Amino acid sequence: MTSEERRNFFKGMAFISPWIVGFAVFTAAPIGLSFYYGFCDFALTAPRRAPLWTGLDNYQQLMHDVVFWKSLRNTMYYASMALPAGMLVSLGLALMLNARIRGQTVYRAIIFLPSLVPAFASAMIWMWMFNPTMGVFNMLLGKVHVAPPDWLGERLAMPSLAFMSVWGVGNTVVIYLAGLQDVPRELLEAAEIDGAGTWRRMFAVTLPMLTPVIFFNLIMAIIGTFSILAVPYIMTSGGPNKATYFYTMYNYDEAFKYLNMGYASALAWIQLAITMVLTGLAFWSAKKWVHYG
Amino acid sequence: MKAESRERRRASFWAAVSVHLGLVCVCAGYLLPFIWMVSTSLKTGSQTQEVPPQFIPHPWKWHNYLDVFTHPTFHATLYTRNTLVIAILTVLGTTLSSAIVAYGFARIPFRGRGVLFGIMLATIMIPFPVTMVSVFRIFRWMDLHTAAWWGPDNALQMLGTFKPLWLPAWFGSAFNIFLLRQFFMTLPRELSEAARIDGCTEFAIFWRVVLPLAKPALAVVALFSFMGVWNDFLGPLVFIQRPEQYTLALGLQAFQSRIGGTPWQLLMAASTLVCLPTLILFFLAQRTFIEGIATTGGK
Amino acid sequence: MKFIKPVVFALLGLAAGVFLVLGSRQNKPDAPPGFTVVEYWEKWNGPEFLGMKAIVDDFNNTVGWQKKIFVRYMSMSEIDRKTLMSVAAGVPPDIAGIWDQQVAQYAAIGAAEPLDDLAKAHGITRDYYLPVFWDGCSYKGHLYALVSTPGTVGLIYNKQIYEQCGEKLKAAGLDPERAPRTLEEFDRYSEILDERDADGNIERAGFIPLQSWYVPHLGFWFGADIVDPATGRPELDSPEMIQAFTWIQGYAKRLGERALNDFKNSLGNFDSPQNPFLEGKEVMDQQGPWMANYIRNNKPEFSEVLVPLDRQWELKDRRANCVWGVAPFPSAVAGKELVSYNSFDGLMIPTGARHPKEAFEFIAYVNRQDVSEKLNTLHCKNCQLRQVSAGFLEHHPNPYIAIFQELAAGPNAHCVPVSPIWAEMYQELVDTSQAVSLEPVDAAEAMHRAQARMMARYDRFNSIQQQREQLGIN
Repeated sequence: MTSEERRNFFKGMAFISPWIVGFAVFTAAPIGLSFYYGFCDFALTAPRRAPLWTGLDNYQQLMHDVVFWKSLRNTMYYASMALPAGMLVSLGLALMLNARIRGQTVYRAIIFLPSLVPAFASAMIWMWMFNPTMGVFNMLLGKVHVAPPDWLGERLAMPSLAFMSVWGVGNTVVIYLAGLQDVPRELLEAAEIDGAGTWRRMFAVTLPMLTPVIFFNLIMAIIGTFSILAVPYIMTSGGPNKATYFYTMYNYDEAFKYLNMGYASALAWIQLAITMVLTGLAFWSAKKWVHYG
Repeated sequence: MKAESRERRRASFWAAVSVHLGLVCVCAGYLLPFIWMVSTSLKTGSQTQEVPPQFIPHPWKWHNYLDVFTHPTFHATLYTRNTLVIAILTVLGTTLSSAIVAYGFARIPFRGRGVLFGIMLATIMIPFPVTMVSVFRIFRWMDLHTAAWWGPDNALQMLGTFKPLWLPAWFGSAFNIFLLRQFFMTLPRELSEAARIDGCTEFAIFWRVVLPLAKPALAVVALFSFMGVWNDFLGPLVFIQRPEQYTLALGLQAFQSRIGGTPWQLLMAASTLVCLPTLILFFLAQRTFIEGIATTGGK
Repeated sequence: MKFIKPVVFALLGLAAGVFLVLGSRQNKPDAPPGFTVVEYWEKWNGPEFLGMKAIVDDFNNTVGWQKKIFVRYMSMSEIDRKTLMSVAAGVPPDIAGIWDQQVAQYAAIGAAEPLDDLAKAHGITRDYYLPVFWDGCSYKGHLYALVSTPGTVGLIYNKQIYEQCGEKLKAAGLDPERAPRTLEEFDRYSEILDERDADGNIERAGFIPLQSWYVPHLGFWFGADIVDPATGRPELDSPEMIQAFTWIQGYAKRLGERALNDFKNSLGNFDSPQNPFLEGKEVMDQQGPWMANYIRNNKPEFSEVLVPLDRQWELKDRRANCVWGVAPFPSAVAGKELVSYNSFDGLMIPTGARHPKEAFEFIAYVNRQDVSEKLNTLHCKNCQLRQVSAGFLEHHPNPYIAIFQELAAGPNAHCVPVSPIWAEMYQELVDTSQAVSLEPVDAAEAMHRAQARMMARYDRFNSIQQQREQLGIN
């Protein structure tokens, strides 16, 4: 390295040193530790029940655990509904909110509002709205004489939660809006002059230019969907009959309700692996449909 | 020509109408929970149990909002104070440290920068449930060792204080570093060059030249992190044990009753109050907000 | 318009400042200086919280004052999880008011301090207690908790509705003047007492097993031990347990899933005038003696059909006065009388508590005979001690308290199953009860599945325990 390169190296490292320390202590070490703990048994009642190496026991146990598979299925089921719905609705809303009509500030504000509500409050509000006898939804349905379904019953609970997730797309919409601002005007104007209607313009110019943002939001949505914990924890506690028992709730219960910390670490690692695989898939597919610049 | 443009204007008029219609419907749906929350917060206890439920309560029990402050187990002022302390420390830490780190990634070309930046981006994808147990364990390990030297409840103790919630923020937050780095990269190099020629150290350039220009981006970072802390439920759920340290998001649980009889009107009133600060901040900063995201960009 | 932004920001800042100051002031020191502060987290809120508060105040004013101990008493939701996490974090309270099902679990993972020495020093031994409660507080021969208030479970039934259905009951050969004595009789009573409307919706149910708070413990009434008392080994698929869950499933099948679901959704909260038992929607329920308190708070007329409550009447007249009656919950096993599940609220000292000795002073105080009787009168529960004064039984707010006390002292009194994985088994049994009621699954198969899952955990726990003992890391 030349002396300038060396100077830059030290300067650069000095500036990013806070992150390096934080990364080591709060990210790398925990991930490494949780990998190690996945092969141990321990409860956090130190000095009692210190980590004891048990080899593949944890992994064997979870392979045979009905609840492990159920919670995984539940999470996948939720993702299969919430991901497409969230992506479509947020993109659609962003496109509508980008139209040049009046009142956009008000509309945008309203769509973003739900992201400002604390998890406990929104869980309780929606739980109340889903209530079969005293909730708004069944009241409105009653007015049009439709049989009131049991929203949080075993069959409908997961779809109801997926429906609720659409309420919180405000964050994603804002990012789309920012991306839409970046679509070059010249391209759109050129297309308009060429005689392309609104729909053609959208599909031929806007969407392709938006693909990097769509990709970014897809990744964030995958991560978000697999990290969901607070809302179902409060609303349904994973019931009824474990219909809404998400993988993260299983992890949390094993860790903090039964103090099976080793087992919980194994579960966490599997979650990490699954998330990595899915984002890896997304990255690989990105080559096919994401246009940069 | 005239007929064509009139045709076009009519088409765009109907397009505008349909967009308005669509947005109005969606917004009505999005507002419904809020309306329900406020409506329930103004009812009496027995009115909340009415079947079929009514939208408009009568009479309007404004007193519920006062009752929230005198509730025996929901200590409104205490929880607000706790949340504020954590929020202020977190916002300061995040903004400052993320700016410093982002500057390093954006303005100083050095060996390995790309790799480290890529690693940092990858950490965004790690969900909290994966690290929460191990981070807890690390803090406990630290506590056990400091307790061995200085006894329990010493100043360096992590668990049982607010530190686990705001301390990590002082080491940079990946998402915010990413945003600020994008922003810093849009600033012209000539500015730093000029300052360098004048003999400024790199840190001085950062502090006196670049940072003041970054006010909108910093505002976005500060706002986002404030809102994140204010509403954070999971972090306090895992790291706060002592009841006198509960935050608002966690403390709302005080209204939940195990054998039924949850006072919905009080819970909704408290929830409305908890939503207010972030709502007000959002409305004030709306334009800065959306512009800020645009400049930092989703590239 | 331009000034709005800075003004609002300033106001917000001001509000923040105010909250910071006021909030910090809220932590007023409540203990007299120089006193040892004992932190006590309790699960209750409402009237039960206040009942214990009276005892805490008594202690602080008498024994506490003498020994310079101040008990700081707090209500805590999710006490089980929060206690565990506070132990894991190293900042536990000094006393935790836990559920009975946590004792063995906490003892097994080292979250609770053994109390043998402290108890002996205060003269509290097994003879002082009713054996069922002492056993529930012990694990592997050591004492890990003491009882604050017990809760013996019996049958509560609506005498008025029995009378209303008198003709139908008599036609079936049943006596409307008394409660069912065997489970088989009980089922017949229950079926006759059901009432549906023209559309098949349930208007009134004799009994709904799924609504009981004690579903995981139902096995006791079928002669099951649920867990081997000597080893803690789960026995979830014993013939008795299968019989118990078939019984639960039978009710669900007979009432119909849809109708049952709609009915369940229409029921009001327990602690309200819309309580299903008080509204007559459920004729019989499995409850403890505290029911009298909830009745008095929500529907006093239930306890004063003839005259208002404030008259000091003889027990038998007070009983005749009530719309509700109490009897031992019938068992399915012929000849097994007085079967009961005896839950309790426990007081435990978590590992890492700062002041265990002072904490035990309070725990011992709560178990003094006069204090215990006062607390259990306030909470409207029976008493965990072997000896109770005659006044306790006669002047208790629940005129049927003697029945509960008899059940607790009886030969078939069961305490919480003592097993380190009981918390997980409890959850498993709750899930299984829902599964057999909602899915078309064979009860025996469901129980075998539950047993397999719990056996895996039990074996694993034991093998790890053995390894730990061999290696000396416990």
